[in-house]
Amino acid sequence: MRLTRRRFLQGLTAAGAAAWGLPGCAPATRALEPASPRPTRPILVVINIDGGNDWLNMLPPTAGQNRSVYEQRRPTLRVLPAGLVEIGAGAGLNTDFSGMSLLSDRGRVAWIPGIGMNNPNLSHFVSTDLWGQGSAQPGGTGWLGRYADAAFAPAGDVLRGITVTNDLPVMLRGQGRSFVSITSPSGFVFPSSLRGGLLGAPWDAGLLEAGYDAAVSDPGAGGPPGLAYAAQVGKAFLSATQGFGTDGTLPPRTPAVPYPGDASYPVRRLDGGALSGGLARQLKLVARMLAGGLDAQVFFTRVGGFDTHANQQVEHANLMRALGGSISAFYEDLADVQTESGNAQDRTMILAWSEFGRRVQQNQNGTDHGTAGLAFCVGRGVTGGFYGAYPDLGDLDGNGNLRFTVDFRSLYATVLERWLGLPAPATDALLLQGAALPAYPRLGFV
Amino acid sequence: MANLDPITSWTPADAAHLGRRAGFGLSPEAAAALAASPPGAAIDAWIDGLGADHGAFTAALAHADPVDEPARGSAPNQAPAVPGPHPYLVEGAQAWRNDLSRAQAYLAFRMQHGPYPFQERLALFWHNLFATGWQKVDSVALMLQQQQTLRELGLAPFADLHAAMSRDPAMAIWLDSVLNRADGANVPNENYAREAMELYSLGADNGYNQQDITELARALSGWSFTVAAGDRIPDPTSPGRWVAGRGTFRVYDGGANPEGEYLWNALGAEAPPARLPDRHGGGPVTFLGQVFADIDAASGPGLAKGEDVLRSIVVSRAAQASQFLARRLVLHFVSGAASQADLDQVAELVRTTPGFDLRQVLKVLLKSQWFFEPANRFALVEGPVSWTVRAARALGLDLAAADAAGAAQNRFAAWAQVVETFDLAGMRLLDPAGPNGWHEDRAWLNSNTVRYRTKLAAALALGETFTQGGAARALFPSEVARWFPTAPASPQEVLDRLVALLQPAPIPAAVQAGWLGSLWPAAFTWDAASQDQARQLAFLILCAPSSQLS
Repeated sequence: MRLTRRRFLQGLTAAGAAAWGLPGCAPATRALEPASPRPTRPILVVINIDGGNDWLNMLPPTAGQNRSVYEQRRPTLRVLPAGLVEIGAGAGLNTDFSGMSLLSDRGRVAWIPGIGMNNPNLSHFVSTDLWGQGSAQPGGTGWLGRYADAAFAPAGDVLRGITVTNDLPVMLRGQGRSFVSITSPSGFVFPSSLRGGLLGAPWDAGLLEAGYDAAVSDPGAGGPPGLAYAAQVGKAFLSATQGFGTDGTLPPRTPAVPYPGDASYPVRRLDGGALSGGLARQLKLVARMLAGGLDAQVFFTRVGGFDTHANQQVEHANLMRALGGSISAFYEDLADVQTESGNAQDRTMILAWSEFGRRVQQNQNGTDHGTAGLAFCVGRGVTGGFYGAYPDLGDLDGNGNLRFTVDFRSLYATVLERWLGLPAPATDALLLQGAALPAYPRLGFV
Repeated sequence: MANLDPITSWTPADAAHLGRRAGFGLSPEAAAALAASPPGAAIDAWIDGLGADHGAFTAALAHADPVDEPARGSAPNQAPAVPGPHPYLVEGAQAWRNDLSRAQAYLAFRMQHGPYPFQERLALFWHNLFATGWQKVDSVALMLQQQQTLRELGLAPFADLHAAMSRDPAMAIWLDSVLNRADGANVPNENYAREAMELYSLGADNGYNQQDITELARALSGWSFTVAAGDRIPDPTSPGRWVAGRGTFRVYDGGANPEGEYLWNALGAEAPPARLPDRHGGGPVTFLGQVFADIDAASGPGLAKGEDVLRSIVVSRAAQASQFLARRLVLHFVSGAASQADLDQVAELVRTTPGFDLRQVLKVLLKSQWFFEPANRFALVEGPVSWTVRAARALGLDLAAADAAGAAQNRFAAWAQVVETFDLAGMRLLDPAGPNGWHEDRAWLNSNTVRYRTKLAAALALGETFTQGGAARALFPSEVARWFPTAPASPQEVLDRLVALLQPAPIPAAVQAGWLGSLWPAAFTWDAASQDQARQLAFLILCAPSSQLS
């Protein structure tokens, strides 16, 4: 990282002091709740903010040169001071990011503005893969998949890592273990027509399983290369059915609070109408799984639509309302969920990330792909505030892009070691994969 | 090394392999018939769609007209059942009032019954490459118009297809071309320009830089499309809003706006101005090291230099573009595990075929010894849509039988009942989650998608019914007797003949023995109970790992 005079001076500011593991800089004027101690069985809920979130309009600068560059480069898309709640470190929280303000006030949000990577190429797909791999030497596995390899039982723990999306992102793929994908509360069950229909319940799964087992144990010399893989996936599906009990469904549950998309949820879209409940539905399902006693530790969710090249003024506001509303509803809802290892709110941390941020300069009514992004963590165990320096808007690269201030793997190292409890050497090995680099510094929010 | 020389011998098993990869499967009889011609002529005809009888299919489309649905909007449905190969593109879509599942069912119906399967398979391939989503386009008609373009240009020189997709109205909405203006102080919208290279022709970081993206965006600024007043369809879910029924591409040329046309933008339709507004960033652009001047009104289409700029990509970056296309073609049609040397050879084939003519490229690729190598059989995981369609073709009643039974509508209704499962199985037709489409091969399979394949297998093999108009109808009508025109003599023969019908990769002998022992523990007779067991066996075969491969 090139150390300019400006960056050096900025490093002396409060926001800069928060970087690299120093205590967070939280607004001093508010009464903060103390962070909860780290739970014995921590839960991580990952939210993939898909599309390259324009976080500059989520946490716009409020003062100094950053504000003047922002105003100049965003003649129509800038957020006026009236639309901001000052949260310190020269940044304000967009009031459309409703729900986050209260959590921020309580000291429950760790903001990491300017998170990024070397040589970003501004492609959604390349960036998402790199964020997923989280390794200096990309090897096709993901950082959470490698965590599953390290921490989950080799045979068993089938439901410990779950994605509620219907794909299996790179981030969740391990060498030997991968997450299972569950998109509905009926979990894993054979089609009902089969249980009551032609196939008798006692043996239909058994016959399928025999087929899977045979292919897993002896794919056959010279057999099709995909056969063992297809069998492993089928076996994972059948094994997961066991964890869902005999009828394959989760107990019904009415959330303690309304979520975006619910009729009783108070916040509306900027242009009227109901907020999208996509993320809310996923988080509700996570809460239901926890309440239903599923022994899961890591969950993956995704909310899309953040590729706001156009009509950003309306679209991004609505996305922020849905995102912030879903997170705060989920957080409040978890207080009502008891698990064998304690209250779910105490056990859970939310990690939200996007593959990059957007260009400082707006186009006609949107923004194009940029570099450094925003990640943030929410939870009872989080010490709120800013971690890593807010990027210097007066020091853009040749294409008008921000310079990142925190390597994204510092976030992973922090979460793996300090939240999930992976020993420090294992954490470093997982992220470095043999590369001779210094270990990624931990951030101080947990 | 990949041997791209054409095969010289050719068996029904080879024809079946071609049918699985480059179509939606062939019955044993059809594979034998195809294998009776010399391979060169047979595969050329397969690719060109020669000998396909469109008549029955066209008639069935008219019969299967989905407009007998209860009216959803206030306007009476007056869409005629237009004869011709594509009667639904506009009239039908308008009748569907932007109903995505209807459009998905229509595509699946075409895949199952269409007389030119390679064209549908290739359109599916391009649909994944130029992945455009209904969710944002918000128009079934424009999405189907795009599908039709993919059918018509799927075998064209690649630059023609690339340019056509750049002008496609659904694409123009999907990647914000309609909002790309660079006049005056406006900075161009880069959304389409970036993907035109990253996802549609070169691959990420492959021979271009950010400056090229900005310049291409500027060259394309002002491109839009208009709709006639009659092609604006009232949005049934949101009074006062419209969706587009058909779009006509426009390059800004300084000319007058056609009478009665609306200029489309992301928010709906603008009242027609007297002239198409000048949103184009004029002046020369420097793209991939080449300077392109404005074309003057006397010598060309107004100020539009965008098409020339687009067409220059495969010329000035032929090496990268041919690598890009080779990788995608190989991944879909040949193997997910091709070596770099293999990919280089296919790229060389693409690069040395004048104009990257896809018809010629595919004729070489799909006739090659490499394509038919044993190691490349069952080497790919089949996607959920083609997997389902292939099973439906093997097990379900065919089009002619349905017509004779006077129940042609049900063919279409069956798909309308199950297309939602495509989404859950990981492939929401006409609406991929992002512009990079669906990941192919192994990415098709995870614990969740396997679950929904199980569900689809049940619908297809077990004769599941649904209730329509108070009557229970089979979802996919099928008759076990039709699968077995002559009675099988033993459980093993039941299995062997189902395997011949469904064409899975080899199933281990121990698994076969386990299934047969459970299903027929006692003496075998070909009675009604055995026919039910045969359905169960078909279900088990469809669920087996062997069946997920193509």
